[in-house]
Amino acid sequence: MPVTLHTDQGQEAPGDERPRGASWPRYVVLKGGGALISLAMVVVLGFFAFRILPGDPAISMTRGRRISADQVEVLRKQFGLDQPMYAQFWHYTVDLFHGDLGTSYTYNKPVIGLIGDRLGPTLLLTGSAALISIVLGLWLGQRAAWRRGSTFDKTQTGLALVFWSVPTFWLGLILLLVFGGWLQWFPTGGMVTPGGNEAGLAHVLDVLRHLALPVVTMVAVVYAQYLMVMRASLLEEMTADYLVTARAKGLREDDVRRKHAVPNALLPTVTLIFLTLGGLIGGAVTVETVFSWPGLGYLTFQALTAPDLPLLQGTFVVFSTLVIIMNFFADLLYRVLDPRLKSP
Amino acid sequence: MFSATSTVSDPSNAHRRWFAPIVLGFAAVIALSSVVATNAQAAESGKKPTVLRVAISSEIDTLNPFTSVLASGTGIMALQYEALVAYGAKDNSVVPGIASKWVISADGLTWTFTIPEGRVWSDGKPLTANDVAWTFDAVKSNEKLQQANGGLLTNIRDVKATDDQTVTVQLIDAQAPNPGAELPIVPEHVWGKVGTPETFANDKGAVGSGPFVVKTYRQGQSVELVANKHFWRGAPRISGITYVYYKNGDAAVQGLKTGEVDLVRDLEPAQFKALTGQKGITTNAGAGRRYSSININSGAKDATGADLGNGNPALKDLTLRTAIFTAIDNKTLLEKVVQGLGTLGQTEIPPVYPDYFGIDDADVIRFDPAAANTMLDDAGYTLGSDGFRTAKDGKKLTLRLMGRTSNPQHAQMADYIKPWLKDIGINVDVRMQSDNQVNNDSTLGKYDIYFTGFGIGPDPDFQLSINTCGSYPNADGSGSLNENNWCSPGFDALFKQQHTELDPASRATIVKDAFAMIYKASVNNVLFYAQSLEAYRSDRFGDFVKQPATTGVIGGQNGYWGYYSATPVSASADDEGGFPVWGTILIIGAVLAAAAAVVVGRRRKTSDDRE
Repeated sequence: MPVTLHTDQGQEAPGDERPRGASWPRYVVLKGGGALISLAMVVVLGFFAFRILPGDPAISMTRGRRISADQVEVLRKQFGLDQPMYAQFWHYTVDLFHGDLGTSYTYNKPVIGLIGDRLGPTLLLTGSAALISIVLGLWLGQRAAWRRGSTFDKTQTGLALVFWSVPTFWLGLILLLVFGGWLQWFPTGGMVTPGGNEAGLAHVLDVLRHLALPVVTMVAVVYAQYLMVMRASLLEEMTADYLVTARAKGLREDDVRRKHAVPNALLPTVTLIFLTLGGLIGGAVTVETVFSWPGLGYLTFQALTAPDLPLLQGTFVVFSTLVIIMNFFADLLYRVLDPRLKSP
Repeated sequence: MFSATSTVSDPSNAHRRWFAPIVLGFAAVIALSSVVATNAQAAESGKKPTVLRVAISSEIDTLNPFTSVLASGTGIMALQYEALVAYGAKDNSVVPGIASKWVISADGLTWTFTIPEGRVWSDGKPLTANDVAWTFDAVKSNEKLQQANGGLLTNIRDVKATDDQTVTVQLIDAQAPNPGAELPIVPEHVWGKVGTPETFANDKGAVGSGPFVVKTYRQGQSVELVANKHFWRGAPRISGITYVYYKNGDAAVQGLKTGEVDLVRDLEPAQFKALTGQKGITTNAGAGRRYSSININSGAKDATGADLGNGNPALKDLTLRTAIFTAIDNKTLLEKVVQGLGTLGQTEIPPVYPDYFGIDDADVIRFDPAAANTMLDDAGYTLGSDGFRTAKDGKKLTLRLMGRTSNPQHAQMADYIKPWLKDIGINVDVRMQSDNQVNNDSTLGKYDIYFTGFGIGPDPDFQLSINTCGSYPNADGSGSLNENNWCSPGFDALFKQQHTELDPASRATIVKDAFAMIYKASVNNVLFYAQSLEAYRSDRFGDFVKQPATTGVIGGQNGYWGYYSATPVSASADDEGGFPVWGTILIIGAVLAAAAAVVVGRRRKTSDDRE
């Protein structure tokens, strides 16, 4: 197996403090414990962070409405804002452990339901974008590294960095103007055609048509990070002795790259992939705004204006939990992939 | 060893083989869906449109009329539920709604409304006085239903249906504003069966009395309304309205150009000008209901009369405040900031309400920096060698100017105002803050000057009420809201007088005097009333009734007139833009050819390697 060919090659990755050779259960408990502590901190922070926001939600929501001071007080009571902070925190924590994220002030609906409705579209957008950008980034990255200094390397690296530097909002708007407005290949917003009652294949095609521009925008902006890490990682491997061995065996250059260098170079990128997956969901806010995508990002943005505290807490906890879970998976996967971390 | 290595599946090898076909396949599917959609558009283009698609830019909070407070939600509710009386399209005057007539008792305490026989809900069931009484009672008896319109009922003692056609409203004190205005009346046969009306979503198959009722709602995506065939003024000429979410204005403009939506509101001046003259599109700069102003903290107080906040004490001086307003050129701000699309400001009442609009010409503060300097010199604000004046407490006259980061116009206006005030020796410290921070600081009097604005309703009572001495907030900002952190016993007397004056002409005079009083106190300088900028596909719809007539708006009215009057226009096939079908087919062909070339090239290369 190619991965076993060079197990003794291993240099300790810089900054890697994983318990070398720890047993699986101990490793999982350690990492799981860390994740749980992070989760607990998220729960606490989720409550107090948004209490810093200025303004009383009941007052700002009813500002300009014909509602008396007494009626605003009723609303504050309804929201539980008349209670002391510790009591509010207690209710929030108890409810959270019962799977209840509270009721949104603005929408007057359970937060869990609101997030559930929007999570699907956000995952579809970010999932598609992540998949395409990872495959594209890694593929271009290893090609660029192998042909280091070539025109391909220079143009691909340069292009990726240009897209990486471009503001997402600006790129999205340009794509929208050209492909949505001018050429009219794609719709200018939303996830489905409003008023349309398509089902089956027609519905899938309709969603795909709406998905295309937001995905292209997200991919263009993020694929560079995968390309650069893959490229750097492969460049490090290219001087390794086991490649000389592989070539000495008479393997073709393509096989040396694909079957020996790339699998090893993939290792550090796995962590990056999982780390960025969690972040991608939060990063979808801009793209969702440009393309009016009905996702979580815009919901959070709207919640800030009230401020709709239960909704902000809910989205914060969900976003953070996703990142923590992804990191946990990254830790587990890293151990599976990296034989150096296995028990002797 | 070699053979073992060569049999292992290799991810990079796998995506080398599949990557290009997957990407190209994805592109082909997308292109195919584009063809399907283009064909569908082409098929649609010859037909007469029947559904008006309106772009909506902000989220709808809820479609429950008792709890909806955001304009997006209340606007839809105004199409679905009528109140006892409505505000007319011509001039915003009170006209029949559910009630065809109303009589006021001599003491002004009893209002009797008559509901004509034969009125029905959208489901065909009779609409009677019992529905009206039930709605009023529901709001009065359940504080959770007071979130949207509770304030409308604070002066109502009792509402009774004396028979199916008659409702009597007993007031606590006499009032001029019609008590039947604005409260959406809901059907008892639907809402009476709902266990907790405050949480009722009311978002599909709704039953209403207005011209349109909600059919379906996809949160964050669209709301479909269908025409109410039973609407008492006659069924609408369109079959429905679909609100389509556009979270950014530029995308909505593109959607209008491509024909994905038929009407876009709240355009920026630049977008409006770019759309003017485009084929198939008509723009409308409607007289706005909103004023934009610069407000001065003349000494905020709380409900107990104690000082509130940290406003510069120098601003308690009327001369200084008047000098500041004299040094601000409203005309330049109107031309530069909203590109002239508006009217110069006077009092808080915009010209769309002609009965209450305006102030005596002699009282108008006009831009005159020299006069402002003279005022300050005479009042003893000495000019220092650094070009800045000294306040009476001996400190350099520096004022904080607060605006909203969410409104780019504020920063733009601040860029003009800072040098204008420097010209009269006042140093300005500009601070742009979040909406919540501005709301908080303005309520608590933590500002010197700030940009503000208000959308004004047809009846001035509410706007006046938030300037009375009784509307000062509590020390923590809770309680009432005082619009200008200012009050005057003389103003309060005028407020009370207009509140009970039942003769419209006499009331109008008192109202104008009251607003003139705020103006002359130099606490709120109305800079301009910006026009409400709209654009619609005139190749698809026309004959919109504006409010007020000819100069007004189509959307965002005090009522349903604009959308109710929408009339389909025949569309010709060539009017539908869009990328031609042959073009898309050509692109798919090119993509597939490229795919084939890549695959063939790869195979040849591999076989060369083998050799």
